Amino acid sequence: MSKPKLIYSIERQKARWGWIFVAPSLIFFSLFSFYPILTAFYTSLFKKRLLSLKPPDFIALGNYTYLLKSPDFWNSMRATIVFTLGTFIPILVFSLIFAIFISSRKRFQNFLQLAYYSPAVLSSVVAAVIWLLIFDPRGLGNQWLNFILHTPGVDHKWLANSVMVQLSTMLVYFWKYVGYFTIIFIVGLASIPQSIYEAAKIDGGNDWKNFWYITLPLLKPTTILVSIISMLQCLRTFSTQYLFNQGGAPLAPINVITLNIYHTAIRDHQIGRASAMSIILFIIMMLFTWIQFKTSRADEISY
Amino acid sequence: MQYRLAEKKNKYFLPSLLINIFIWFFLIMMAMFILMPTIFMFTASFMTANDILKMPYRWIPKDFYWKNYWQGIKGNDGSFIYVRNILNSLIVAVVVSISTVLFSALAGFGLAKYYFKGRNLVFMIIMGTMMIPFEAIMIPLYLVATRLGIQDSYLGLILPFLVNAFGIFLMRQFFITFPDEILDAARIDGASELMIFRTIILPNSVPAIATLAILTFKAQWDNLLWPLLIVQSEEMKTIPLYIVKFMAEKHTDEGAMMAVAAIASIPILLVFFKLSKYFLSGAALYSSRKG
Repeated sequence: MSKPKLIYSIERQKARWGWIFVAPSLIFFSLFSFYPILTAFYTSLFKKRLLSLKPPDFIALGNYTYLLKSPDFWNSMRATIVFTLGTFIPILVFSLIFAIFISSRKRFQNFLQLAYYSPAVLSSVVAAVIWLLIFDPRGLGNQWLNFILHTPGVDHKWLANSVMVQLSTMLVYFWKYVGYFTIIFIVGLASIPQSIYEAAKIDGGNDWKNFWYITLPLLKPTTILVSIISMLQCLRTFSTQYLFNQGGAPLAPINVITLNIYHTAIRDHQIGRASAMSIILFIIMMLFTWIQFKTSRADEISY
Repeated sequence: MQYRLAEKKNKYFLPSLLINIFIWFFLIMMAMFILMPTIFMFTASFMTANDILKMPYRWIPKDFYWKNYWQGIKGNDGSFIYVRNILNSLIVAVVVSISTVLFSALAGFGLAKYYFKGRNLVFMIIMGTMMIPFEAIMIPLYLVATRLGIQDSYLGLILPFLVNAFGIFLMRQFFITFPDEILDAARIDGASELMIFRTIILPNSVPAIATLAILTFKAQWDNLLWPLLIVQSEEMKTIPLYIVKFMAEKHTDEGAMMAVAAIASIPILLVFFKLSKYFLSGAALYSSRKG
């Protein structure tokens, strides 16, 4: 009866090593993810000021009710939602079009993929600095738009006008990330088996039908994935808006929620209120992640 | 896992000549739009401020105005602090990349190849941290950092990023396909588990390690929010913070600004062109993610 015992102990030893390998990461996450998010929730229930020596007052949901009544907070929600919708929908549509077009090319596929992806490599601070210069009243932005619209000499106020500055931030983000999502779509397209198209060809399908009845439905999981990732990324946007504001653009139209958290905590020293905003952002993103989880489960595709 | 460029075969449709021409036209126009700002940065970095904002913009600099680079590196106050800031960015990005790869590989290996009670729970917990956006925990982290007195130091810049859940996920997916027989053979030969990890697992996971290292390096090179919170002194600033400061200063001219941006971009662009397949496989990973 010694043999089963031996196997048992080897298994036990292996299990111990499994724990040892995982332990550093688990400890790290408890300290740097779970503990902070719990503290954020706890702090959001207090009126706490940065650098203040007196103990924070417990005000229960006071920070949340304050925020729900604050026009500044709702302006941030508006800015975030407008930015997210205005950015992720064009990204979704164009990255799908780019991916289909690039995949259909016989030559230069490699070059096109690298070219389209390249802005994603630049840092977002550099991207913002370049575009700030392009959006200068005497800059390239006005030159291009005037060329397209045939309106020589008009200043389109890319950074000064409250609608234009929102469009400008969206354009920067679109430019930077559209190539990234194009690559994801290209990989999704490549995973559709050729045999399906051959079968469709025998059945007499044409390109347009193939696209609507084969490519698009089979691409549904990739599409959901791209829309959720890009949406989450847009909700977290910070650098572009921060840099634009530093570069002289008005704050209110582009005061997205992350920027508001930063200002509330660092400039206004309202730690409790900033934490409440963080928790609201967290809940919104949880919601989206949950939707992604739900939909990706329901849409497993087998060929 | 390794990314392969999509098959060259024309698999979706065979467009007629007219449509073909239209697609080429569209793709080239968009490629020009996408490449233009980067090219603009490099050409403008060789021009005087007057030339940059002259209409129409001349895409080929008249004479190469190297003074912008000198001015960018020297800074408006002549302190050459940019050199130190670049070094800071390098130190932070390299240390974070190494530790992320190491800990992610360990945890990913543990989750992929060892059976222990609660393994699924551990996996769920680690995946759960992916749902916590950094923006939501930055304020508590900032308070902790100030309480520990590590603000304005390398430790403070590095500590919150030592491991990330996405890295663990990536490594686990990679190791799951690794044949158990090889590991068992090594055990029979008397190798310890750590030895197996070091001599078998690590050397055989170069593509996954390279992908993760590059993604992590890039993310740190790009990081603005956390340094903005905890760095106060000029000496501890990273590249993004230097750019923010340089832009806000009164005497900054546009040419020098573009030179500073170009200096920040050249290393990462070189890495990109040399190792583009790892960048692309980083993006491709998402679409191979299931459930």
